[in-house]
Amino acid sequence: MADLVSYIIRKLLLAIPVIFLATFIVFLMLYLTPGDPVAMIAPAHASAADLEEIREKYGFNDPFAVQYWRFLERLSSGDLGTSVAIGTLNTDVSYLLAQRLPRTLELMAIGLTISYSIGIPLGVYSALKQDTWTDRSVMVFTLVAYAMPSFWLGILLMMALAVYTHILPIQGTVGGFGSILLPALTLGLGNAALTTRMMRSSMLEVKRQDYITQLRSRGLPEREIIFKHALRNALLPVITVIGLDIGWFVGGAVVVETVFSWPGVGMLVTSSISTHDFPTVQGCILVLAFFVVIGNLVADILYALADPRVRLG
Amino acid sequence: MKFRKSLNDALAGWRMSGGVKQSAMDIINRSQRNAMVVVGATLVIIIVSLAVLAPVLPIADPTPAELHEEEILLSPSGRHWFGTDELGRDVFSRVLWGARVSLLVATLAIFFSLVIGVVLGLTAGYFGGIPDYIIAGTIDLFWTFPSFLLALAFAAALGPSLTNVILAISISYWAGFGRLMRGQALSVRERQFIEASRALGAKNARIMFAHVLPNCLAPMIVWASVGVADAITIESSLSFLGVGTQPPTPSWGYMLYRGIPNLEEAPWIATFPGITLLLTVLGFNLLGDGMRDVLDPRMKGMRR
Repeated sequence: MADLVSYIIRKLLLAIPVIFLATFIVFLMLYLTPGDPVAMIAPAHASAADLEEIREKYGFNDPFAVQYWRFLERLSSGDLGTSVAIGTLNTDVSYLLAQRLPRTLELMAIGLTISYSIGIPLGVYSALKQDTWTDRSVMVFTLVAYAMPSFWLGILLMMALAVYTHILPIQGTVGGFGSILLPALTLGLGNAALTTRMMRSSMLEVKRQDYITQLRSRGLPEREIIFKHALRNALLPVITVIGLDIGWFVGGAVVVETVFSWPGVGMLVTSSISTHDFPTVQGCILVLAFFVVIGNLVADILYALADPRVRLG
Repeated sequence: MKFRKSLNDALAGWRMSGGVKQSAMDIINRSQRNAMVVVGATLVIIIVSLAVLAPVLPIADPTPAELHEEEILLSPSGRHWFGTDELGRDVFSRVLWGARVSLLVATLAIFFSLVIGVVLGLTAGYFGGIPDYIIAGTIDLFWTFPSFLLALAFAAALGPSLTNVILAISISYWAGFGRLMRGQALSVRERQFIEASRALGAKNARIMFAHVLPNCLAPMIVWASVGVADAITIESSLSFLGVGTQPPTPSWGYMLYRGIPNLEEAPWIATFPGITLLLTVLGFNLLGDGMRDVLDPRMKGMRR
């Protein structure tokens, strides 16, 4: 147990530079943006002297490192700045994010559920039918689903389930629970392809092990061997990557939310980019990066729980 | 029979004399038997040649200066194979011209990522010690972030343009190449021929680029093929979100975005660029996966 605790502490410490990189990139974003931010904020009739005064007052003339340090200070007190978009002028970015975050979490949770409930059974089935036509078709399906960009998959599902058959509501949140199904399905299917492939190769690996042969020689029914003994071990590598899936979902959520006008952090980021609301874009990217860090941490911890050797490494 | 035997001997001698030729021949032979490589290469060749030939093919202007009202939202026909869009432009022609943009952005971005990754990974893996510590740390940091999120952040900051998209993808995608290159360099530098060339007085730079690098290239090429597929996906996603290629330049992502409002009455606007996009990404993925199986059978099915 002690080794597990020290392992987790080590991993937590390693997450710190990653968070710093995220803040640095987000800070750099403003620095890289072409055009003078002061000239954009200031009214059109402001003179050159006025602009200089604003620059001095808000510290735009300070060296890069000083500006970055101030940015970090502001972040550490939980201040993400205020929005500069017309519709949400001067609203705290943290408030905007708090409004959107539950929507994204909801979407990711249902997406993950869909992804695993398709991927795991399909992978097991495919492994049990190795080298048959069923197996090959499942593999072709995963190749196609993996290559399919999420927005295109979203549009296809939208056409199939909303435009032509009217089974599900097309966009937004007005349809209650039904309206989350399309975006979640879109998010889940791409990841299901990965889960299926992992589950299949993991199951094939386990099926070759000696203890399975031994169980078989003892005359246990095949069904019991597979579902009681093999599946448990084969599931481990699949479960441990759940954390990495979260990272994958973060990128997917931005696109999928935009396709379906799902009011989460991902859609906030794209709408803020189009209105040049950079404080909000920065806040969103930071929150999404934070998700990735948490996801990686979860992956590391699950991995250590599953395989005690990792903790010592 | 005798003839056959002598031929075999000659072949064996030829093979032994030119190790590189032998492996190249072997790779081609084995590739032909690998269905993934065949399908992937066919798709890639078709799309690349259509993209290259787009300016000389007898197709409509993808960005006509004038709007022809009678041409708006026509369904696919002999005259417009893929129909026309809401501005009366020929979708087939725009799909082909869009392929040029996608392939250009993706190959350039992957080329730059490859260069950054090779230089950093090679330096880290070959020298070890403090440079390795710093570079490997940086690689891991960038590797942690999903490249799409990074590319989105950079593209949003730099502003939408073709050059900036290439830049954004390059900055966010190089870590994979760096990681792979470092690992390869670490193992190759221990081999005896490296020691031999050092004993002969070769300088570090020469050993790195003339001896270590060529021995690490195969997996890098595989990764680059898969990388082009990823870069195409990232580019089209960015264009879809409005931070990538800007209209009127035809791009698959933006065409799909514009197709959404017309899904019911003119589904072809989104469908054809979508199918082409899927086939292109699939082609590069299959080529990469298949090549990996051919070059290194032990790694079969290892990708995630």
